[in-house]
Amino acid sequence: MSSNVKYHLSVSSCFARMAIQRQLEYPSFLVSWLLMIPIQYFAGILMLKVIVEKFQALNGWTFPQLAFVYGLGLLSHGLMVVLFIQSWNIGGMVRHGEFDRMLLRPANVFFQFAVMHINFIGLIDLIPGVIIFLYGCDLAGFHLGPINIIKLLLVVVGGALIRGAFFIITGSIAFWTKSSESLVGFSLNLMQRSAMYPLSIYPYIIQMVLTFIIPFGFICFYPACDFLGQNDRIMLPLDFVGWTPLVGGAMFVLANKLFNMGLKNYESSGS
Amino acid sequence: MFAFIYLAKMRILTLLTYRFEVFVAVGSNIIMMFATVFLWKSAYIGIDTVEGLKEQQMVTYSILSVLLSTILSCNVQNIINERVRDGQVAVDLFKPISIFVCYLADDVGRVISSLLNKAFPLLIIGIVFFGVPYPRTTIVFFAFIASCGLSFAISWLLSALVGMMAFWVMELGNMGRVKDAIVGALSGRLVPLWFFPTSFITVSKYLPFQYIYQTPLGMYIGKMSLNEALTAMMIQGIWIIVLLSVCALVWNAAKKRVLTQGG
Amino acid sequence: MMAIIEVNELVKEFKVKKKKKGLRGAILNLFYAEKMIVRAVDNISFDIKQGEIVGYIGPNGAGKSTTVKMMSGILHPTSGSVMIDGISPQSNRKKVVAQLGVVFGQRTQLYWDLRLGESFELLKRIYNIDHKTYKKNLDLMDKVLKINTIINRPVRQLSLGQRMRGDLAAAMLHSPKILFLDEPTIGLDIEAKHSVRNFIRQINRELGITVILTTHDLDDVQQLCNRLIVINDGKKIEDGPLDILIDKMAPYRLLVVDMNEENTDFSHEAAQIIKTEGQRVWYRFEKNKITASQLISELSKKYAIKDISVEEPDIEEAIREIYKLTYCRL
Repeated sequence: MSSNVKYHLSVSSCFARMAIQRQLEYPSFLVSWLLMIPIQYFAGILMLKVIVEKFQALNGWTFPQLAFVYGLGLLSHGLMVVLFIQSWNIGGMVRHGEFDRMLLRPANVFFQFAVMHINFIGLIDLIPGVIIFLYGCDLAGFHLGPINIIKLLLVVVGGALIRGAFFIITGSIAFWTKSSESLVGFSLNLMQRSAMYPLSIYPYIIQMVLTFIIPFGFICFYPACDFLGQNDRIMLPLDFVGWTPLVGGAMFVLANKLFNMGLKNYESSGS
Repeated sequence: MFAFIYLAKMRILTLLTYRFEVFVAVGSNIIMMFATVFLWKSAYIGIDTVEGLKEQQMVTYSILSVLLSTILSCNVQNIINERVRDGQVAVDLFKPISIFVCYLADDVGRVISSLLNKAFPLLIIGIVFFGVPYPRTTIVFFAFIASCGLSFAISWLLSALVGMMAFWVMELGNMGRVKDAIVGALSGRLVPLWFFPTSFITVSKYLPFQYIYQTPLGMYIGKMSLNEALTAMMIQGIWIIVLLSVCALVWNAAKKRVLTQGG
Repeated sequence: MMAIIEVNELVKEFKVKKKKKGLRGAILNLFYAEKMIVRAVDNISFDIKQGEIVGYIGPNGAGKSTTVKMMSGILHPTSGSVMIDGISPQSNRKKVVAQLGVVFGQRTQLYWDLRLGESFELLKRIYNIDHKTYKKNLDLMDKVLKINTIINRPVRQLSLGQRMRGDLAAAMLHSPKILFLDEPTIGLDIEAKHSVRNFIRQINRELGITVILTTHDLDDVQQLCNRLIVINDGKKIEDGPLDILIDKMAPYRLLVVDMNEENTDFSHEAAQIIKTEGQRVWYRFEKNKITASQLISELSKKYAIKDISVEEPDIEEAIREIYKLTYCRL
């Protein structure tokens, strides 16, 4: 058993090291990413500020609280971008025969897929996220004590798992159709809209969908409710931080199953 | 002329075969539409008018903004980037038709295709869920259409400019997305600039971005009087001329660069 | 000796969409696309023993890569079976691929931006190769492919030939028993082709590694393979030792004669003229009907000859004959 763990750790760390080395070779991409990402996120939070100032708090969520939710969302997004960005390119990998290569190696293909790349450049996504989140914490008076930090870590990791799993689930369609790129934009949009704004602005049906069918509400809305003590028309005890990592884990298991189903189809129908 | 029509037709045909991509794009836009509309509804709870605008007007604004965004997505920046990367652009320079006309024809094909497969279904969905987004008056409607055409020109020229950067910077990378991010932020696509602090409004008047979304949309919901609308369209025209000149300059510089440096 | 590769009545069918033409077709395709079934591999069987070097050839689209994919476990057959060393790659993928080395001529498994050695390090971990074996294999690769001259260079800076050496070395690191080589000499210059062929001969001779070689380069076949399997349209057409195959398919030789006179008709009853260029005539004659010296003496009695040379048919002739025959059969 422990030799198995050692094996997986050694392979993962080798992939990680190589990924970082590879990305250091292309600094210009780093620069353009560095320019684009902060603009998008800061513009987003600015717009929320403008609306709240001209109008009112959204469904009882003041601007500090909105900034908190927004920033928390950016943290899990950033982590997902660092760990799971290859899930955006499953279609490309199918077309270029990269899964053939993985099938030729004596290791579980899902494992190879999950650890094959650490998107070092994605850390840039985390920087504005951290800034906005800390800003939100400060404004909302949220205390970053040790227990809260552990809870936060669970939420961020859980949120990243939910996001990553969703990309893998939708990306697995490429095993049948050889194309998955279009779904990436759609999924991103869906995730951002449900994580950037409090769920309560949406009608009841949409809230139900985003809780029980595509559980994006758990990425940062419900944990934020727990952290900030907001009781926002929630019927079930959903505002509990612990749900997020559980949902994340469950979705990842589902993603694994769907991925393997897709891989089986790929092995039967070729490329 | 026939070549133009043919190129546009080729683009329409290509996009027809990618039906899945089209469904997903429509889906993505539906999400944008719903998120924005509900955001405004939530903002307007218990409030009647802000800056002279009522809730229904902002809902209309949001629906039309999404429709407009499907038409304004220009691919020319990617095409130029690709052709420079492949070295194909040297070949393009010597074709009998000016390549800009080719790129334009391609994007016009996209516009027509988007009108049919994206804008139209999105409009239906918007009507079903949020009611018909009536324009303020019929005249305003025609002004809106004209202004949209001008918006497309501005947007296209900006894309072309970004694309041409590829001649100097080897790897454009995400520059296109940077431009889109800036446009998204400053064009009034989601939150029109009327709600922003005065400093923003002043600066934005001197940039081309608000004339892409805010101008036609503002006309449509009746935020502007007819005079103001005509003035705005003139400013759009001015921006088109400015951008055309800049493009021409950059294009000449690019051609010189290609001829001296090779593809 | 038991075969290390057993392929039994292997079949692979693909469902392919029929596409219609033009604008009307494109619109129709939005709603409904007809499917048809294509048999890429149609009932192929063969056994390969340990230590053989087998050439697996056929025209493009014949089903070669499909068969190789099924043998390496990437693709599942529609029916029939593959056994590698007694294990089925479909049911026990990890165990089987640990014994295989696969090199695709047109795609590399090396990481483009990093040193060659980094890719090796990764493979060492993935295949769980212990340090002693790893060192030993690297040394062998240096002896056979001079890998140490390129191991510290980024892969993107390597020439095609060097990259191929890197890929071959990478495939050998985990001491596989079987090597599948898909077009390993494609695009290489003479020097590089020479090293690759040398490599294959050496590892086969010294380590007894079984090699299955898919190639269009018939020089590869002539120089390396002791056995040839020819497939076309998914079916196995020929299977046997190289020299017997050549003899069977191209049982003739060529006589090239430079005539020293002008004539419109240089014909001879026992030989067929296949080409004339000015005063040079190419005769094809069957080995069992007439010998070269006979033909030469008879021709010299009829015509004034300046110079002659005799050519053996090469593998290309044999293959062309095989393909011609199969098209006749269809």
